Amino acid sequence: MARQRRHVGYGLPLILAVGLHLGLLVISVIRFPSAEQEPPNQAIVQATLVRAETATDQAQQAQAQARAAAKAKQQRQEAEAAAQAEAERQAAAEAEAQRQEEEAARAAEREQARQAAEQAAAEAERRAEQAARQEAERQRQEEARQQREAEAERQRQAEEEARKQREADAERQRQAEEEARKQREADAERQRQAEEEARKQREAEAERQRQAEEEARKQREAERQRQAEEEARKQREAAARRAAEAAQNSLDQAIAGESEAVANAKQAEQAANGFINLVRQAVEQAWAIPPNVPDGATTEISVRLGPSGELFAASVGRSSGNSAFDRSALSAVETAAPFAELRDLPASVQRQYREFNLRFRPGDIR
Amino acid sequence: MNDAMSIPHLIMNASGVVQAVMLLLLLGSLLSWVVIFQRTFVMRRARKAHREFEDRFWSGVDLNELYRETPAEQETLGAEHIFRAGFREFNRLMPKTQSPQAILDGVQRSMRVAWSREEDRLNLHLVFLATVASSSPYIGLFGTVWGIMGSFQSLSLAQQATLGTVAPWIAEALIATAMGLFAAIPAVIFYNRLSAESSRLLGKYEDFAEEFHSILHRNLQGRGESAAG
Repeated sequence: MARQRRHVGYGLPLILAVGLHLGLLVISVIRFPSAEQEPPNQAIVQATLVRAETATDQAQQAQAQARAAAKAKQQRQEAEAAAQAEAERQAAAEAEAQRQEEEAARAAEREQARQAAEQAAAEAERRAEQAARQEAERQRQEEARQQREAEAERQRQAEEEARKQREADAERQRQAEEEARKQREADAERQRQAEEEARKQREAEAERQRQAEEEARKQREAERQRQAEEEARKQREAAARRAAEAAQNSLDQAIAGESEAVANAKQAEQAANGFINLVRQAVEQAWAIPPNVPDGATTEISVRLGPSGELFAASVGRSSGNSAFDRSALSAVETAAPFAELRDLPASVQRQYREFNLRFRPGDIR
Repeated sequence: MNDAMSIPHLIMNASGVVQAVMLLLLLGSLLSWVVIFQRTFVMRRARKAHREFEDRFWSGVDLNELYRETPAEQETLGAEHIFRAGFREFNRLMPKTQSPQAILDGVQRSMRVAWSREEDRLNLHLVFLATVASSSPYIGLFGTVWGIMGSFQSLSLAQQATLGTVAPWIAEALIATAMGLFAAIPAVIFYNRLSAESSRLLGKYEDFAEEFHSILHRNLQGRGESAAG
């Protein structure tokens, strides 16, 4: 047993060596991603502009930022809810409109069918009338012919008797014929008139119906248009409300981010006029953050500008304790100067912007 | 960017030559660690075995009995091996010659052979460790130089040479050197430590051989005098 122990194989050392390497590999794989999260090499840096007169308070600022964030979130949620409700309402209105349209189409169909039936009935009546008229005509003709024949017979018989009287007879016959013709004509005329009247009546009926239909259609259209208008108006109103909300939101953020302790309206106006933003952007772009800046490092640079925006003096107001970081902030201000936009400001507020503090804080970007 | 600069990503994206170099270095590191562990165990057991054997040897036990107790020649190690070789030679020569000098010469020669075998056994594979220790930085450096050459070639093709275009190349090239050093540093440290351990053990074996030789010499001295007288 002691002998066997003296021989050292290669199995255990191999396992140990492989285990060692795998362990190192795992450590390197696991640790490096988390290590990469740490360096705040984000391009966006926050340079907070602080008015020289207004002493600011870090805690208050943080609180206000949180408040602003919460507000923004709430507003966003509200806007979302409103948008959803709007969408729902719109969908409902659309369904309603569709339903109405369908109904109208159905009604129109029914109307049309009814009209067609009516027309058909009228047609049949007219035809029957015509047939009756024709029949009467024929009978009348038949009668006249028989009369004429009888007359001719009589004439022929009377011819023998009196030749002179023939002419008078003929005359009388002609007159009677004339009379009969006239009567026929008058009859036909009366009939035509009656027919004309009936037609007119029918036409008037149809006209009335058409007018009623037209009116109904117009009413429907007006209704639809009114609904559409209503909807558009609602949408416009919602958009306006949203825009107002967004504007309100961004303004809040700008105020909260820039100057904290000053929450009055004057400061809001000043923040909105853009000079601060311009300065901040210029400084941000010129700022090269040195590596290995500790988290939460904050430095404050006091800046004094000349009347035309040129840099009179820039000095470290409150150091972060990291001299490289302070220097980088200082040089960022120096690079970004001159701020020629100062001249665009109204003369009354220019003096207030000639002196301000810039706070550099890279840590809270993440 | 974070993902592109992580070490596994860099290794995967390296050029073929650099990857081959990295593989070679990984293999060297792995084998050198196998040798390190194996030799460490061997040394520790040899030290322990030597201590036990010396305790028994100096406990006043009869040498013939000790010789019988020890296992066969091929399976003994260290001082035990030397003792067996010397004592066997002594026993064999005793009946054949009367001259103590001849016996002592034979015993000494036999023990030197056993010692030499022990030296060979203890220093086994330590040369490999030395090779890895001295060559892997150069191999890693070769990988780095090759990778940087590639990075400069790509830089000449790029329209706009920024740090961002060369940084991944250089980073992955430098990984080769890092791996070379990673393989070399433990190899150097453990080579020094293990070879020191081995030479100390061999020194102890040599001391034991000398002492054993002097014991035999003492015995023969008495016998030679009695034989002469």
